[in-house]
Amino acid sequence: MRGLFLTSVAFAALALAVPALADDAKPLAGKSITVLLPSPQGATIAADFEKDTGIHVDLQTLSWDDIRPKLVTALLAGTAPADVTEFDWSWTGQFNAAGWYLPLQDVIDKDTVADIGVAKIFTVDGNLLGIPYTNDFRVMLVNKKQFADAGITKMPTTLDELIADAKQIKAKGIVQYPIGLPLSPTEGASTSWYLLTKAEGGDLFDKDWKPLFTTPDSAGYKAMALELQMLKDGLVDPASTGLKDSQINDTMFAKGLTSIMISGEPGRLGQFADPKQSSVAGQVEAIVVPTASGVTRSYGLPEALGIPKVSQNQEAAIAFVKWFTTKQFQEANYANGVLPTRTSALADLAASGKLLSGDALVAQAKTVEPLFAQGTPTWYPQFSSAVNTAINAVAKGQITVDVAMKNIADASQKAMSQ
Amino acid sequence: MTAVAAMASERKRGAGGNTDAFLGVLLITPIVLVMAALVFFPLIDTVWDSLHRINPMQPGTPFIGLANYANMLTDGDVNASWINTLIYVVIAVTVETVAGVTGAALINQVKIGRQWVLAAVILPWALPGVVNATIWLWIYQPGAGLLNGILTAFGLPFENHVWFNDRTSAIIAVVTVHIWRMLPLTIVIVLAAMQSIPGELYEAARIDGASRTSMFGSITLPLIRSAIAMTNGTVAAFNFFDEAWVLAGPSLDTRPILIQIYLEAFQNLHFSYGMALSLVVTIVSLLVSLVYVVRVYRNTRLD
Repeated sequence: MRGLFLTSVAFAALALAVPALADDAKPLAGKSITVLLPSPQGATIAADFEKDTGIHVDLQTLSWDDIRPKLVTALLAGTAPADVTEFDWSWTGQFNAAGWYLPLQDVIDKDTVADIGVAKIFTVDGNLLGIPYTNDFRVMLVNKKQFADAGITKMPTTLDELIADAKQIKAKGIVQYPIGLPLSPTEGASTSWYLLTKAEGGDLFDKDWKPLFTTPDSAGYKAMALELQMLKDGLVDPASTGLKDSQINDTMFAKGLTSIMISGEPGRLGQFADPKQSSVAGQVEAIVVPTASGVTRSYGLPEALGIPKVSQNQEAAIAFVKWFTTKQFQEANYANGVLPTRTSALADLAASGKLLSGDALVAQAKTVEPLFAQGTPTWYPQFSSAVNTAINAVAKGQITVDVAMKNIADASQKAMSQ
Repeated sequence: MTAVAAMASERKRGAGGNTDAFLGVLLITPIVLVMAALVFFPLIDTVWDSLHRINPMQPGTPFIGLANYANMLTDGDVNASWINTLIYVVIAVTVETVAGVTGAALINQVKIGRQWVLAAVILPWALPGVVNATIWLWIYQPGAGLLNGILTAFGLPFENHVWFNDRTSAIIAVVTVHIWRMLPLTIVIVLAAMQSIPGELYEAARIDGASRTSMFGSITLPLIRSAIAMTNGTVAAFNFFDEAWVLAGPSLDTRPILIQIYLEAFQNLHFSYGMALSLVVTIVSLLVSLVYVVRVYRNTRLD
């Protein structure tokens, strides 16, 4: 009887100890957080995180364009839109000035920050406002089969070669409009112009925020003139004045209607390689951005995870950010079309041969610069809006390149003064 | 005795009057409270906030008086948006009124299966604006769009024509979609008003030898004026957003004032400037609507 009693006590003690041990391994088990990210995301993210940490995640996804209004309205009202949210590079200036997000430099280990080179884009006045999770930078995407069909064997490294190749593809009748270039009044038109400005060898502003694109010999001016010339030469579809970059990707490049995506997203390579989503599976590859000089350049548009200061579950939110940006998760998440931000994860994927166009992506990643050396300004949305409105008007023949450049400069000066 | 009865009657009326008044106050209290909480307080708060600088990127909310209102006058994008909006209002209100009355008059002649015709007519109004706009976006598509396909089938040179590359055609394309959505409402309300006109009036007119045109001008039109005023699309046209956004995004060629307000508030985070613009839109649309309503009220009152 005594033996039975002791055995029962021992089992009871064990039964109590096991959850206690589990709690030590998962100190935040039982907590619950909300996460707001752009769609699509991997289907098992919430379950995998809960399995690893015991924290329940309510993962909400919205289209990228719909996230910002949701964040702004909630944060202005002093409420948290979610405990962890999307944080785009272009919001850094505004959200820092508004003081809405928790600085993370003291809670994320330094090795992680060092491994994620693009983290500096989210650092303002020493405050790290977001941990980048998707490594968006610009490369050029080409349909190598269409290039080959046109008799082109060497990929372009200069802008002149790029235009010559596009003309050859058109002349051979491979496609009617070889170049995919958004010209609508949307962000995609702005980002393409920024890339071509870099490709022409220049930048947008000097260190005192003086516009560098107003004179005809400036890179920005040449980039706009080049866009117009490509349109006039019939290399770009005139309907691009009404198309976003995503539409040009999905409805044109993925269907083989264009041969070159000027402002290519590395994360799209997986989509283009998937026969279910693309008519050009096996035909697409990334090349480093051709430039006027032949020395490639690019810039980063990464997206990060941020934690609103008004979040009531900051500890669990930090745990999610750490988990989401681990090397292991980033490598696994590449299957969902998310390019790792960790240099080590990118190198591992390239070495294992899993990274599509790995050589080009690794080579381009080394050249990625921030678009604004001083950090993204608070007036970036006004500037971008002025840029894409001007591009749209030039493409429609309503204004000249000269007037467009003046309009952008005036709008940026006005935005700075507000 | 008569005096006593009269006093008793007066007391009864007084007590009943107080009860009625109390009941009246009791009945309207919920709506007054709801309106105060959801309309009047936010409106007054918005007016007050529009006199301050409310920008989350800048510390504090200092009083700036009428600066936001003054800035509107020199803001090129705001002025362009206002011009677009006024063009939309003029086109939409004119077409909706004329086509709405004409459509209602035609449907009024249908004797068999009118309910099916009405069900079909009301469909665009029943669909959300974004859905309507998306359908029309496909119709306007340069390559495979239905409109270009039809025009090309007639031998016209519209293959790959881009309707939004020209400001005039872009404005017409956008406002057409708005009219497409709002016209059914006008037709249904005007039709209901037409059906409530007593048949005897027309019979009397016929006996007097009136033609169909003169009956329409002398009987139908005066008696449906209040319905026309009620369906007046001025406020809807001032509140134009969905269709313009889906079809042409923030393009300055077609940007109505509400998109400008959205961009100022939620893109540029200039909230109090957005509030000031919203108030001006509200006041302008109410004033314009008021002109119709007062005119119709004067023309239709029975005394």
